[in-house]
Amino acid sequence: MFKDKAIIIPIQIAMLYLIYLAGKGIQNLFDLFIPGSVIGLLILFTLLSFKLVPEWILQQGVSFMVRHLPFFFIPATVGIISYAYVFKGKGVLLIGIGLFSTALVMAMAGRVTQWMVKRREEA
Amino acid sequence: MNAVIVALFMIGFTIAAYIGSLRLYRKHRRIYTTPVIVATLVIIVFLLLFNISYETYMTGGKWVDRLLGPAVVALAYPLYQHRDILRKMLVPIMTGTTVGALVGISSGLLLSKWAGFSSQIIYSIVPKSVTTPVAMSISESTGGVMPLTAVFVMIAGIGGMLIHPLVMRYSGLTHRIGRGVGMGSASHAIGTAASMERDSLEGSISTVAMILSAVIVSIIAPGLTLLLL
Repeated sequence: MFKDKAIIIPIQIAMLYLIYLAGKGIQNLFDLFIPGSVIGLLILFTLLSFKLVPEWILQQGVSFMVRHLPFFFIPATVGIISYAYVFKGKGVLLIGIGLFSTALVMAMAGRVTQWMVKRREEA
Repeated sequence: MNAVIVALFMIGFTIAAYIGSLRLYRKHRRIYTTPVIVATLVIIVFLLLFNISYETYMTGGKWVDRLLGPAVVALAYPLYQHRDILRKMLVPIMTGTTVGALVGISSGLLLSKWAGFSSQIIYSIVPKSVTTPVAMSISESTGGVMPLTAVFVMIAGIGGMLIHPLVMRYSGLTHRIGRGVGMGSASHAIGTAASMERDSLEGSISTVAMILSAVIVSIIAPGLTLLLL
């Protein structure tokens, strides 16, 4: 139906933006801590799951955003120039804490899942 | 008028830095050539070289920032695409990611608290296991510093990718579904990319775990932070 990506992708991103605004609206309305963007994610997942929104309406724009997700957080990451001092001196410890905590998450989340899956497979 | 030109230039420069680093990554796939890292470094060097403040850069950068919200919404699509795996393995995956979320938040928070860091830094480290845009939103709503959170997310992602063979060996993580949940919960998109290279089922599970983890962490982080701090 639509051929021109240069037109269709911005329109679909605008639709995603509307869903995001709806999520933000819900967050403000109920005074929630959950980010509006995550509420928007749940809204879109529900719409897709119940076939209230057909896939083709959003497909190209959504795939584009997911593929280039890193681009959208570059400006925020650049902000580290204002906070580089945090990692000086004692701040180096934070890197160790981050690594240790990451290893812990990987091992625990993975082992719990593995245990449950194996129990199911044996049953 | 001048301000508009500066803002447009900053947006253009960000796009150029991203496209350039993407090309480099396609030619030389290394951990240190990950596009976000290269593009961020290029922009930082540029700003420092010409003595441009972050505030000036953000007159353009904020327009890219504004698309972070819809980018998170877009993650609903890969989750939807993998709905069959999700449905079949719902209980193990959900339990695993919830355990991962609890362990990640509490270990990051308690260790940095015991080491005596300020609460602003602690709030920034709490959401480190989830994908950057969501981590930043969580950090913002709990009182952390967004750019610092971005760095902690990178430590979790790149660090996880580097140490995962060791972690998996010593924790006896052998099952593809368990590995996928471990990688997605601990190291978000970077971990997922590593899983995807090894095995497509592990990669798909990791994608699902990464998105679920983003949702679960954003729900429990504010309360758990209050409880532990």
